[in-house]
Amino acid sequence: MPAPSRPLTDYAKVIRSKNSGPFEVTFDVMFDDRAPYDIVKNSGAISVDTIAAAFGIPVKQVLVCTPFDAGMAIKVTIRRTVSSGDLEDRDVYGCQQHVPLTRIAVPG
Amino acid sequence: MKQVTGVAPSGSMGSGYNIESFKRAMSLSPDFIGQDAGSTDMGPYYYGADKPFLPESAYRRDLEIMLAAARSARIPLLIGSATTNGSRQTLDQMVRLVHETARSQKQSFKLAVINAEIDKTYLKGKITSHGALESIGPEAALTAERVDAAGPIVAQMGMEPFMSALDAGADVIIAGRACDDAVFAAMPVLRGFDRGLSLHCGKILECAGLSAIPYDLGEPMVGRVRHDHFEVEPGNADYRCTTVSVASHSLYERSDPYLQAGPGGINNLTHARFEQLDPRTVRVTGSTFVPDEQYRVKLEGAEHVGYRSIVIVGIRDSIMIEQLDYVIEHVRERAEERFGISREGIHLMFRAYGRDGVMGAMEPDRHIVPKEIGLVIEAVAATQDLATAIVMFTRGVMQHADYPGILTTAGNMAYPFSPFGIPVGPAYRFSVYHLMPVAAPDECFPIHYETVTY
Repeated sequence: MPAPSRPLTDYAKVIRSKNSGPFEVTFDVMFDDRAPYDIVKNSGAISVDTIAAAFGIPVKQVLVCTPFDAGMAIKVTIRRTVSSGDLEDRDVYGCQQHVPLTRIAVPG
Repeated sequence: MKQVTGVAPSGSMGSGYNIESFKRAMSLSPDFIGQDAGSTDMGPYYYGADKPFLPESAYRRDLEIMLAAARSARIPLLIGSATTNGSRQTLDQMVRLVHETARSQKQSFKLAVINAEIDKTYLKGKITSHGALESIGPEAALTAERVDAAGPIVAQMGMEPFMSALDAGADVIIAGRACDDAVFAAMPVLRGFDRGLSLHCGKILECAGLSAIPYDLGEPMVGRVRHDHFEVEPGNADYRCTTVSVASHSLYERSDPYLQAGPGGINNLTHARFEQLDPRTVRVTGSTFVPDEQYRVKLEGAEHVGYRSIVIVGIRDSIMIEQLDYVIEHVRERAEERFGISREGIHLMFRAYGRDGVMGAMEPDRHIVPKEIGLVIEAVAATQDLATAIVMFTRGVMQHADYPGILTTAGNMAYPFSPFGIPVGPAYRFSVYHLMPVAAPDECFPIHYETVTY
């Protein structure tokens, strides 16, 4: 029987979001050790498809999804549905949009 | 050893920094002080309204410390993106502060002022000759109509105008909108060091202590660019840089960790290597700059979309909270009847904090019924008076709205203070975020020199 999956927060040290310019929000999933980084990186838990599903957005809105070995981090960038500070916007800095990412399950 | 050392006092001018750390950084014989003073990050208001983010006193305080230190050490002070949007008006304000500070400190120096606001006739000429400009954000390419609708439009300068000013012997350089990294890359590249390493070092320095442990925007950072590497360390002796803290910072506010586009090209960090030199210092190698065939600069600007008014209330009654969607639908219908909201293009929004105020449609826990809701009723309309009339009418209907199971018939919402209706002022959206081709890197960034003598 496979090990149960665990939430991403069991592995990552930092999960954050922030604008990358007014039209994108970018996410950094950061680790403080090589082992958990490798587990998450190799698990396939963070992919364009899982990100789109977590945020309920179309796949084409996910612009970047890549591991960054030198920083032991996984980088994800999505196109904002509305630009920073526009009429329907809710987060000018884009710094509180990370929560769905914390719920992503990492297969055991 | 041949090197260029830069000191970054803080990640954002006006937010203050640790003076003891700054003194220690200055004791490491820097060749220049660099400071970023602007960003799109705080939203379109500062671009559209053409105003700095902070009160003048905040910038004055940071400037006084930097100017005194730079003149005492006889090294250049470079300030980029003065101030916030880096337009002509906000640049002039910073230049006035420089004069006032120099007068009070009895300083004399050669000042270079670099303008980054783009003349709209020139910009429309570009559109005529090149066609509508490529968007890197808004839905549409940049047309002459969009240019006219926007407030001041600025271009992000690269390192070249700073290099020209340094080469001309400027002691203090105050620049309008500039690429943050370029402020710090200009002197090393002028002295013959590698562009990719210098820009990457600049990327670390521009946020100062954000790449240190513990991380702190108000902690100064020191960077040394050498022949085939650069090194960074925090000014504060109790803080440290680690390979992970520095490498991670390469991610910050950037879409892609490997390829980072800037004025005139892309900095490629794919082969960057991070090495712990001592417990506080990290050495970086392998960042390379790949120039574009056509040098392009990024344009930024925002357009006016109306006037915003708000009412802030609290809701505690659990039945009202359960029925909130029903109530909002009812009051929206009444506002529609009264003001023709959709016909008139009026923006009426209910931000329900405690439920989905922060994430809206992306909120994963929308089903959880909260104990209390903070509600912001917001209207953006053609005039301030109309916007206030809409939110006041809406809150009035909502205050006494009937809903299934109502228990409390004396009023549905708690007001934190009087008055209720708050005119917020003009509202804007980013409408210009496009790339403009230029024949030379300094084509649209004229430099004005003056001798400051007090």
